[in-house]
Amino acid sequence: MGDLITNLGLGFQVALSLDNLLFALLGCVIGTAIGVLPGIGPVATISLLLPITFGQPATTAIIMLAGIYYGAQYGGSTTAILLNLPGEVSSVVTTLEGYKMARNGRAGAALATAALGSFFAGTVSTILVAASGPLLTQVALSFGPADYFSLMLLGLIISAVLAQGSVTKAIGMVVLGVSLGLVGTDVQTGQQRFTFGIPELSDGIGFVSIAMGMFGIAEIILNLERPESRNVLSSKVGSLFLTRAEFMRATPAVLRGTALGSVLGILPGGGAALAAFGSYMLERKVSKYRHEFGTGAIEGVAGPEAANNAASQTSFIPLLTLGIPANAVMALMVGALIIQGIQPGPRMVEAQPDLFWGLIASMWVGNLMLLIINLPMIGIWVKLLQVPYKYLYPSILIFCAIGVYSLNNNVFDVYQTLFFGLFGYFCSKVKLEAAPMLIGFVLGPMMEEHLRRAMLLSRGDPMVFVERPISGTLLAIGAIALGAMLLPGLRKGKDKALAE
Amino acid sequence: MKLNTRDLIAGGLLLGLAIIGLWLNTDHTLGTARRMGPGYMPMLAFWILGGLGASVMLLGLFNGPNPLDKWTKLEVIAVPAAVVAFFLVYLVARGAGAPGWYPLGFALFAACVTVSMAEGWRPIGLVHAGMATFGLMLEVFGLMVALAATLTVAAFAEKTHSVKGVIGMIIFLCVLCWWVFIRELDIRVPLWPTFLVQ
Repeated sequence: MGDLITNLGLGFQVALSLDNLLFALLGCVIGTAIGVLPGIGPVATISLLLPITFGQPATTAIIMLAGIYYGAQYGGSTTAILLNLPGEVSSVVTTLEGYKMARNGRAGAALATAALGSFFAGTVSTILVAASGPLLTQVALSFGPADYFSLMLLGLIISAVLAQGSVTKAIGMVVLGVSLGLVGTDVQTGQQRFTFGIPELSDGIGFVSIAMGMFGIAEIILNLERPESRNVLSSKVGSLFLTRAEFMRATPAVLRGTALGSVLGILPGGGAALAAFGSYMLERKVSKYRHEFGTGAIEGVAGPEAANNAASQTSFIPLLTLGIPANAVMALMVGALIIQGIQPGPRMVEAQPDLFWGLIASMWVGNLMLLIINLPMIGIWVKLLQVPYKYLYPSILIFCAIGVYSLNNNVFDVYQTLFFGLFGYFCSKVKLEAAPMLIGFVLGPMMEEHLRRAMLLSRGDPMVFVERPISGTLLAIGAIALGAMLLPGLRKGKDKALAE
Repeated sequence: MKLNTRDLIAGGLLLGLAIIGLWLNTDHTLGTARRMGPGYMPMLAFWILGGLGASVMLLGLFNGPNPLDKWTKLEVIAVPAAVVAFFLVYLVARGAGAPGWYPLGFALFAACVTVSMAEGWRPIGLVHAGMATFGLMLEVFGLMVALAATLTVAAFAEKTHSVKGVIGMIIFLCVLCWWVFIRELDIRVPLWPTFLVQ
């Protein structure tokens, strides 16, 4: 306990330095902005801004990128409540009750519930990250190569199982990502693989190019094809204060949402959107006021909003302790760290205490900032919606182009991004998800290294993966997760939960 | 038959990539399970990928119907036309002695513009054509001109743009990019046309 306080002290020292405060604020502001704007999400934004962060110290860069991620969860709820327009996937459920509350004249109360619930969830989950981080790291340090391989495999399986749509296609995309990760120089023999003699490919396919192309550019086109439907109604916000009765109803929902969100955030493939859906389902089952659902029940705002924020914080746990990304945003964080020369993993706590504790402390500071950015300044954010998409998409495009060029000062990266833009568009047309591919791409090279090392140590005996207790358990969980998806009942339930 | 066209294409894509990968992988030594060579992991990955692709296709025969969006005649013609344009322009540019990545850039630009002749492909074609324009112009014409050209091309992807609006947007974004990328981040790109500055 004493350690925790000392460490958090160090963290706050880092997080409260002027530079880091400014960049946390910048991240939160950008996050809120893209959260408000439909058509651009945190994955696209973070990949867009990755090249810009290279000049900064690693800690500052990660603090800013993290701010974008959880800032987007706050921003998304604003438009969901006021305009029935989810700015992010994670706030789709908020529209269900939040907009109804706004129509009933309780928009202010809904916004306050969302913001305060998020803040509470953010605080709790930040403490959770701080407390569980070092513990899990200790466990992770006892992992051998075989255990690591199985852990990554489990991560990939679960992220595919939880992905939208067909599990087979999601696993296919994961494996495709792993295969793309193999392009480049083989670390152990120095042989060039799948480079077609192109020198630019000897370091592998550009991570930023894939992320920008599949999430930034492809998204632009999909948005352009959809007719714009943004009727900016200036509904009255009204009083931000909750009545006593509302407060009493929202509190237990926030608590349940925080707990559920914290758990779902840690799961690979989980994250904010899944947590919000899960919490809404839960509230509809357990709330005493379930008959009010659909007409503006405050529980339906408080629970999901707390859950999505809790999940977006706890999804940092696998990244910070094991070096394994739980979702596409975390895959981008891995990319950002690797480009900074830091290998994410259990040694990060020891080797980079500034980064580890600074990031945790900054999450809490960022949540506090978001509360201030969001509640009193809601009018400004709603105004932002008046920027039409036809001016937004060219801006995104040129930021992509300049950013990706500045990575290596090479136009090849621009063309590479263009290629992945086309590929990403094609994939979305045939319903192949891009997120599992990105996670596979990041984990692929690490998996190969651990596989080779494990097989060398076991003298070529593949049974090592089953015989080692940790590895065996992880594989068993993976097998159960896959097997469960074969049961038609469960699969239908999942589809229903994700389809709304 | 309940054909799921989307799944058939998706599975075919995965299977096709796996076969190409396995074929390319014949260059690499496999090694043994104990001492894996550079070809071992790719072999595993591509076999699994191929298996998954095949099963997606197989399932796609039954779990439909899920047809693709209807394509107009022009949209159907535009795709092979773009592929032809790509290779044609690439070969011509290579033959004309364009250095570095310019042949690729010209070819991508030509393909993207060709595909945009069909109205349905205009967003995807022109946004990517804008990207190719940027790659082609940046190093010779400098950031400002390249931005203006890119934005102009990309603006055609949206029907409701007006001339005034596009000009305003170009000026605003040029200033913004100068401020962010040149003044603040100091990235190494020529700002103005290199042949004018010298």
